[in-house]
Amino acid sequence: MAREKLGALLMLLFSIAYGIGAINIPLSFLAQQETFSSRTMPMALAVAGIVFSVAIIVLPTVDPDGKPSLGDVTKGMEFRKTIYLILLMIAYGLLMKWIGFLIASAIFLMVGFRILGEKRLKIIVLGAVPLVIFLWFIMSLLLGVYIAPGEIFYIMGII
Amino acid sequence: MFESMLSGMWTGISSTFIPINIVMVLFGCFMGSFIGMMPGLGPITAVALMIPITYGLDPTTGMVLLAGVYYGAIFGGSTASILINAPGEAATVATAIDGYPLARQGKPGKALAIAAYSSFSGGTIGVIMLMLFAPALASVSKGFQSVDYFALMILGLTAVSAFAGKGGFMKAMLMTILGLMLSTVGTDQTSGTQRFTFGSLELLDGIEFLMLAMATFALTEALLLVLKRDESSDSLDPKSIGFKDLKVTKDEFKLIAPTVAISSLLGFIVGVLPGAGATLGSFMSYGMERNLAPKEEQEKFGKGSLRGLAAPETGNNAASTGSFVPLLTLGIPGSGTTAVMLGALVAYGIDPGPRLFVDRPEVFWGVIMSMYLGNVFLLILNLPLIPYFARLLAIPRVIMIPAILFFSLMGVYLVTFNSFDIQMMVIFCVAALLLRLMNMPMAPLLLGFILGGLMEDNLRRGLAIYDNSVSFMWERPLTLGINIATLVVLFFPLIRSSIKGLFSKKAAV
Repeated sequence: MAREKLGALLMLLFSIAYGIGAINIPLSFLAQQETFSSRTMPMALAVAGIVFSVAIIVLPTVDPDGKPSLGDVTKGMEFRKTIYLILLMIAYGLLMKWIGFLIASAIFLMVGFRILGEKRLKIIVLGAVPLVIFLWFIMSLLLGVYIAPGEIFYIMGII
Repeated sequence: MFESMLSGMWTGISSTFIPINIVMVLFGCFMGSFIGMMPGLGPITAVALMIPITYGLDPTTGMVLLAGVYYGAIFGGSTASILINAPGEAATVATAIDGYPLARQGKPGKALAIAAYSSFSGGTIGVIMLMLFAPALASVSKGFQSVDYFALMILGLTAVSAFAGKGGFMKAMLMTILGLMLSTVGTDQTSGTQRFTFGSLELLDGIEFLMLAMATFALTEALLLVLKRDESSDSLDPKSIGFKDLKVTKDEFKLIAPTVAISSLLGFIVGVLPGAGATLGSFMSYGMERNLAPKEEQEKFGKGSLRGLAAPETGNNAASTGSFVPLLTLGIPGSGTTAVMLGALVAYGIDPGPRLFVDRPEVFWGVIMSMYLGNVFLLILNLPLIPYFARLLAIPRVIMIPAILFFSLMGVYLVTFNSFDIQMMVIFCVAALLLRLMNMPMAPLLLGFILGGLMEDNLRRGLAIYDNSVSFMWERPLTLGINIATLVVLFFPLIRSSIKGLFSKKAAV
């Protein structure tokens, strides 16, 4: 299956789900009498999404870049490192609140360098720590942006 | 009118030529060139990455900085195209066609210098035209009503899809619709109804524009570089360029002068069209130059022709400037990058549209005048710095990619201070990555997202004025005119293929 048809299929499913969500948008009695309510635009968009998705699926693929299957295009791609980086970003978001911006950011960069293949500890540390401290310095001390310390410091009684 | 233009220019000069703005233009050009030079990163990413910095600034200063980043990134993209044949984005692909062979012939310095001079000329001529046309269009558009805006937004969104290229129309339309769908998330401003919030407090205000822009461009582009194992920095040693290599002879200037003049004009006109932007500007300029060139010169195209390099470089810079016309006069972005800038304007609390010209002349004229300054800075800053800039291409990706991811995440976090946004960013980034792998374009999504709320508001207001009837679509002459233009644009791919078919039939006869 051409990769853009697969994309259209995903969009068709999304449009149907979005349309169901649009039908279920709660409306007051008065709003239900209006010609243009909060549901109108979402419902129109759901219909348009379904029409265009079906058109892409049914009509022949013209764009040569869209013809190969997803498997052909992604063959040999570096999925492992990409997934690790995605997981690293999720962990960064979760850890930020607890261990604070400085430590979370430094860990994020160091682990990121390591995932992409940097093995020299000196480069990893020198690439991450000064950059994070420099940014923290600019934001906190020069621009006066308050960056809250991690919750863990309050729990441990350090702050 | 001439008097109002002069007074506007004076407003622009007095708001731009202050130390902070001069520093910001300089900083913007530098950062834009730097980010744009990174293979895989284009002006949209560059502008999106810089937006968090502008939130603490005055709107004029913020826009001046973003404008500097925009044309700096276009110029920076050319450097990567010429030196390592890795265009940062589509607008600089045409530059690589002749720029890279020229670099391989041992003239990388000359190629970069010609690109710099052409960019400067295209940008400056574009700004002069912008100064002439934008106020005139802004004056005309003061009579626009909500319904005209709604029609104009439909025109803008349709145009983006129509210029999407062979087989791209449906996909671009679908992505525009997805962007519009995402814009409906949150509390409906008119009725107070919650839509698609799933009970989440964080979604009550809707999806943050900056977060979406960063997720769909900066994060996705960086992850695509990892995914594709893009190792395109092995073709030329950027350290080999010296100052003496940058010399361009008088004869070479004479050779490219007519090319620059024609491409500036064409690029600007193409840039003004909603949705066309720098990519079409560069390709059309290149194609036109090849057709106009004498036969012996035509044979050099693709093998390192100076005219072949000057044309797209001039065209993309003039088109980038031209794309500011619909943004500043109608509040309708002509390209993905100007869509991001429109989002920034809204975030600064400025209502984009023809009122911008009247209510905030310092922003309107400040951006225009900053472009003069930016073009001069780009030339005097970038030309001598080319050898050093080129060395930045040697920064290992192992360091560069995590840094881009970090700056993107940090940029959003330091604006919202909500770690939930980081999780949302990752979700959008994964979705965008999947869609990109399925050959779906992202710029129309962003355009749809930014225009979605404005479109719904204007339609709702229009319906209230016209007693819930959509007859304004054909009864009001101005709206009808815009709708006819939309139909022409909508059938543009069909018209284009019919004309092509006609020509090929004639050729066969």
